[in-house]
Amino acid sequence: MYRYDEFDHEVVQSRVKQFTAQVERRLDGRLTEAQFRPLRLMNGLYLQLHAYMLRVAVPYGTLSSKQMRQLAMIADKYDRGYGHITTRQNVQFNWPELTDVPDILQDLADVEMHGFQTSGNCIRNVTSDPYAGATAEEIEDPRPTAELLRQWSTLHPEFAFLPRKFKIAVVASKTDRAVIRAHDIGIEIVKNEAGEVGYHIIVGGGLGRTPIIGQTLRAFLPREELLPYLEATLRVYNRYGRRDNKYKARIKILVTETGIEEFTKQVEDEYATLEPLDIAVSPEEVARITAYFADPEFEKLPAHNDSYKAKLLDDKDFALWAENNLAEHKQDGYAIVNISLKPLDLAPGDITAEQMRAVADLADEYSFSEIRTTHQQNIVLPHVKKSDLYALYEELKKVKLAADNIGLISDIICCPGMDFCALATARSIPVSQAIAQRFSDPARQRAIGEMQIKISGCINACGHHHVGHIGILGLEKAGVEFYQVKLGGDASENAAVGKVTGPGFSQEELVDGIERLVDYYLEVREDEERFIDSFNRLGMAPFKEALYAA
Amino acid sequence: MSTLKHKGKGPQSLTANELREGMNVWLTEDFNWSRKYSDALQTEDESVIEKMQVKGEADENENLVVGVYFIDVEPDTGLPVRYREKFRVKGPSYDTADELGLQKVK
Ligand code: SF4
Repeated sequence: MYRYDEFDHEVVQSRVKQFTAQVERRLDGRLTEAQFRPLRLMNGLYLQLHAYMLRVAVPYGTLSSKQMRQLAMIADKYDRGYGHITTRQNVQFNWPELTDVPDILQDLADVEMHGFQTSGNCIRNVTSDPYAGATAEEIEDPRPTAELLRQWSTLHPEFAFLPRKFKIAVVASKTDRAVIRAHDIGIEIVKNEAGEVGYHIIVGGGLGRTPIIGQTLRAFLPREELLPYLEATLRVYNRYGRRDNKYKARIKILVTETGIEEFTKQVEDEYATLEPLDIAVSPEEVARITAYFADPEFEKLPAHNDSYKAKLLDDKDFALWAENNLAEHKQDGYAIVNISLKPLDLAPGDITAEQMRAVADLADEYSFSEIRTTHQQNIVLPHVKKSDLYALYEELKKVKLAADNIGLISDIICCPGMDFCALATARSIPVSQAIAQRFSDPARQRAIGEMQIKISGCINACGHHHVGHIGILGLEKAGVEFYQVKLGGDASENAAVGKVTGPGFSQEELVDGIERLVDYYLEVREDEERFIDSFNRLGMAPFKEALYAA
Repeated sequence: MSTLKHKGKGPQSLTANELREGMNVWLTEDFNWSRKYSDALQTEDESVIEKMQVKGEADENENLVVGVYFIDVEPDTGLPVRYREKFRVKGPSYDTADELGLQKVK
């Protein structure tokens, strides 16, 4: 894992001091709210529907056990004993008090964490593949690139006041676990025909009120050109992005209005004016950063483990958990473990302080102290020996973290919605719970197979509803919540924006409609088809009919 | 966001957030702030509304509250008219802390 260097330490510590003084000046009235608001937002502190909310950055979703323990301490001491994992792999606390925030930021800084660039019109926390460094699918670990981008974008003076926020995601596998095509810039680490590693740069994707799938800006960018090329791209955006209209200010609108060819030309022209070597970092610096992400000391193990196999036969529940929650590891004898934060009775993505501490302890014991957060609002222990899986599973059960529904219909992405968010138009948590309850039968969930339901409480689409196989958007009219449904979205490497089916539903009608939709799919699916495959084969009409059949 | 100038219809209440703790509050009959909506002053009397506005501005200047604004109130139910405001009154319909009996460990 990356460890802060002197510069990082200084930046974070001086920010704590600065914000502590700003809070002091706010409390004694030397700063007005109008002056203070942008300052608190720069540190991730929002005023939400009921209280303040603090968003903590988790760079590319990587946490150490020590950091997780500190988050647990913060949850207990300053909040109400839990935190929430967001779709940008960050952690949110729903109930902090302004007077405590300087102490919270100091506690975060003590473990090399902070809240800056989790809000505002700057380059936000860079996200990545939660399986980074563990999956055999990847060309290389994407985190050194993500870390390089973190360092480059942190307090970058030229990009602190962009027309609008700017989100970057990096993956290094064909399988996209970071929704790169729905980002302002998506980066896929690729190899060219000569076998050189470089970057496929995708630009202009995004969700929100105008969902757009990103387009290729450069199919292959040599490795050393990454920062200068992104600098050129951001400059073009900074210059031409629309500051006159908040709803048209994202780069996706600029790219769409300009056309990808013309936009590419503008970037290339700008790039030609730069001195790349002034911006690019030296190979030595890249090597220094990369060294932090070296593999942990894996044991040499056989691919198969007899005790693990025996347990699979012995304990049916364990076998079901293993079937859904494990992924292939690059190292023989190891597995990637997904910990579901989608139990039937709690809000998607919420984790209690006690559970955080348990995850930290289990990471120490079984996963080289490494933890990941996922955009699906779950947690990953990236490197667990197969021989330890059963013991880990038993421990997870004790803290109610052994839900075996990863990738299934109850593994729902869901934003906080009207229960917490000041921008919401309707609730989303109760909807996700009602759907999860309706499909609570584990055998039925398995029969349905891979299904991605995503729910947002307003048009801002933090719950990624545009790219859900079934996407749900909460709206309100005359004091009544209703839910619009989209079908056919895809958050994977085959990214697609779903289509609206028609008029919205009440929550109750919605759950019935989804059940009819799912039953219809089970009736018509061929072979191993997933819901999305059947939908793509048959098209909207029959699914829509099933949805509205009541 | 804060539209302190009252432009609403029917009975009005004045709401804000505490600066320090951040919690939602409503102006009470005795011109204090309460976290309970049931304590909120509701009035159609323009002269009272004017005084509420003065109080809101003063307490914002005194750094007691932030984001002061008037809300419309339903005459029959006494509840806020807007759906969002109804929600601010009730608090989250779901909160993991309430669900599990968690609280701040001081
Ligand atoms: S989608 Fe809307 S309701 Fe949900 S978190 Fe984002 S802004 Fe809030």
